Amino acid sequence: MKNSRLIIIAVALLICAIGVMSIYSSTYQKEGRIWQDIYKRQIIWMALGVIFFFLLSNFNYRKLWDATYPLYVFAIFLLFLVFMLGLTRMGAQRWLKLFWFNFQPSEFAKLVMVIFLARYYSTKSSFDVGLSAARLNLMKGFVLPLLLTFIPVGLIIEQPDLGSGVMVLLVFMAVVFISGVKFRYIGSFLGIGIACMPILWHYLRGYQKERLMVFLNPNIDPLGAGYTVIQSKIAIGSGGIFGKGWLSGTQGQLRFLPEAHTDFIFATFAEEWGLLGCAVLLFLYYLIISEGIRIGMRTNDAFAKLLAFGISMMLGLQVLVNIAMNLGLAPVVGVPLLLMSYGGSSVFVTFIALGILANIDKQRSVF
Amino acid sequence: MRVRAVIIFLTTGFIILSSGLVNLQVIQHKKLKEFSDRNCIRLIPQQGCRGKILDRNNKIIVDNSISYDLLLIPQRGLSVEASLSKIAKILGTDYVKLKSTYNQGYIAPFVPITIAANITTHQAIALEELKSDIPDILVQPHPLRRYPYGTLASQVIGHLGEIDHWRLSKLADYGYQTKDVVGFGGIEEKYDYYLRYKEGALSVEVDHRGRFIRTIGFKPPQDGKDISLTLDLGMQKIAESAMAGRRGSVIIMDASDGGILVMASSPNYNPSVFIEKDRSRISSIFNNPNAPLLNRAISANYPPASVFKSIVSAAALETNKINLSTSYLCTGSTKIGNRSFACWDIHGKQDIFDAIAQSCDIFFYKTGLLLGPDIIHDYAVKFGLSRLTNIDLPYEVGGFVPSRTWRKIVKLRNWFDGDTANFSIGQGELMVTPLQITRVTGVFATNGLILYPHIIKAVNGKPVYVVPKKPSRISLKASTLNTIRQGLRKAVSDSKGTAGNLASAPVAVAGKTGTAQVPKGMSHGWFAGFFPFDKPKYIICVMLENGGSGHAAAMVTDEIISAIYKENIL
Repeated sequence: MKNSRLIIIAVALLICAIGVMSIYSSTYQKEGRIWQDIYKRQIIWMALGVIFFFLLSNFNYRKLWDATYPLYVFAIFLLFLVFMLGLTRMGAQRWLKLFWFNFQPSEFAKLVMVIFLARYYSTKSSFDVGLSAARLNLMKGFVLPLLLTFIPVGLIIEQPDLGSGVMVLLVFMAVVFISGVKFRYIGSFLGIGIACMPILWHYLRGYQKERLMVFLNPNIDPLGAGYTVIQSKIAIGSGGIFGKGWLSGTQGQLRFLPEAHTDFIFATFAEEWGLLGCAVLLFLYYLIISEGIRIGMRTNDAFAKLLAFGISMMLGLQVLVNIAMNLGLAPVVGVPLLLMSYGGSSVFVTFIALGILANIDKQRSVF
Repeated sequence: MRVRAVIIFLTTGFIILSSGLVNLQVIQHKKLKEFSDRNCIRLIPQQGCRGKILDRNNKIIVDNSISYDLLLIPQRGLSVEASLSKIAKILGTDYVKLKSTYNQGYIAPFVPITIAANITTHQAIALEELKSDIPDILVQPHPLRRYPYGTLASQVIGHLGEIDHWRLSKLADYGYQTKDVVGFGGIEEKYDYYLRYKEGALSVEVDHRGRFIRTIGFKPPQDGKDISLTLDLGMQKIAESAMAGRRGSVIIMDASDGGILVMASSPNYNPSVFIEKDRSRISSIFNNPNAPLLNRAISANYPPASVFKSIVSAAALETNKINLSTSYLCTGSTKIGNRSFACWDIHGKQDIFDAIAQSCDIFFYKTGLLLGPDIIHDYAVKFGLSRLTNIDLPYEVGGFVPSRTWRKIVKLRNWFDGDTANFSIGQGELMVTPLQITRVTGVFATNGLILYPHIIKAVNGKPVYVVPKKPSRISLKASTLNTIRQGLRKAVSDSKGTAGNLASAPVAVAGKTGTAQVPKGMSHGWFAGFFPFDKPKYIICVMLENGGSGHAAAMVTDEIISAIYKENIL
């Protein structure tokens, strides 16, 4: 048997190292101490993340089963806190200031929702000790968990953080799909969802609509939302096969590319490392996600299975959406790139999620 | 099974990303590399034109002219000093001054600096010719607000200026940004959202020295929408020239729909001062004790004086406190309580027609005492006083109608008969705006309608009101209305009428004068009436601040109506 824990932490640290290099590259020419210190902050978060990875990988994940509902309530409480702060500050509010750092509860809520849904769908039927998910009716099998998911999603979108909100919804769809809920429920939800698009469109904020429109044709608004996509594509494309070399990317360095150290860090990396670098990076991501899926397939515990699949999908979807957005293949919604984008909460929560994965594999031998 | 689908989904996702990468980094690499090398995209904001303001016949009141700015690009290595001295010669300005503007404006080698703004067409052409000598100058045209009639209708139009903090905080959600030019006062402010243009942008590729290579994207600016007013340019001019040198306002309203044909407030100001950003002239407008920025037609409160008597008459006739045969003897004064209240003249025996025509105070003291302050208050409110007319102009004020309760609660004083007497002749705490009085007069001109005064006719040629706002009807007896109309006519036609000078006007006018005593200075003069008497088409209200008397207002009215008929505008 391979040691999954070792693979996961090794790959994660590799990706983190690449991330720190790219963050350094995108900020080192900017003036001001804050910019210079950004990569150091990221390293501190990484270190904290690694500690929690090892803590969680030795912490029996079955205890999460018991803690599910308190966690869910706590996550909603945090989101609500952010919501209230947002109301008083009259603007976008995604962070809670804890001691000396800012924490983004929406990242935490993503993980909690995976645990919550994993527990929800791994309830056994009391008749034959089989999984009940496939036999649940529309109400219990779909509508109720959907409503319970919509509480945090609504609070997140209201922040406004459309990206994270949509991510949680996608993770919900993934878990529901894997848990074996009847196809027709999922299908009809998707159908209704698509039918409601024009109505939902109405509720989007101006800049969100603009971004979606720009996704269809970036040249309609070179002044605003289209600019980022155009610059990102130029950055990636100009990298070519071998890249321009570390610290030599003009797009990222000369500030042509906005958000070069956060949501568009992939473009920064691609410009400097080229197709070869990107291939390595994509391979690393694929490795870590498929390891998660493999862990899910190996375990016999229904809760652990759903948890492992859910976490893997959460990570996988984030990677796919972020890179697609960098390539201009998806609309610009604020989704950070796993372990690479600057942002403590995201790195921290990702390490915790990976720790849970490692622990699932460790507990397997106990059963 | 489903796990397999998930694996396929993820794998497909990664394959799509990989092919996307290959597409950008291999297939499109050459093109994108070039983009990046040339470093890269520059955005040039494109200004549009602010919407024009037109009169009811689509004659231009305010439009835009093309103005030129002179810009200099510093980077090209040519001697800036030599260029500047050549430019100074053409512009006829001081070289030192140009040099300091240049130094202040300098940002980066490739960013053009505005050396001179609003240069003349002549200078622009001369500078364009200079371009063969100095290639790094740039003459850029941009639209500028133009006021062909100068001060005409200035308070109705408003002026332009850079957005202030207060407005920005309210308008930021509508896409307004700092440094935006927005309207202050009048139509420019109220309808700014329609008038303003949407900035466009040209995204151009420039080389590493900032030289233009080609256009990549273009979002054209959108011109603002033109706004047609109900104003009549010709009549407005006549009214303003009649008001020249006086303080006050003139309103002429269309009796058929409440459209404002004339709204003149005097003194006025020239909005172009704000365009030229001439600091000393701007501050002289702000510091002028006569407040030229104030739209006296809607934003100032005055005591209505005798003009209010038509409302008291209506109340008395309607409540049957008096009838057509009621008459009082005016001996020049009367005693109310232990105070003597004077009339402005000795009128003798007065019935309702005479009392309105000759504006006898004694008649109305007595009628008012019969009515009591509550009924007078209720009728005043019924005629639209003490509330906004909701005309589509900003900063309207609503006037004030006192009442017994108000007096008790706010002033902690009782209401006495003397107060009722003062109230009956429109003095005391009663306050109105000229527009409210115009609307009150409209009730008699239209046989009982409270009109909706409005000044916007159409936006970009399309009527603003898809369904026209219907005027509301005041429930008054036809006989009441008719009696007061006769009285108003008699004020003009009778030799003893207070507006007798209007008898010679080219059209049959009816109306009421008013002379409001003020604590300080000369009395305010009012005339509020309508014409032609048989089929009223226009309602006119002339208000002279400290203008002496109602007679003076009637004189101005005569001047305006005669000129309108002489120039055959109607």
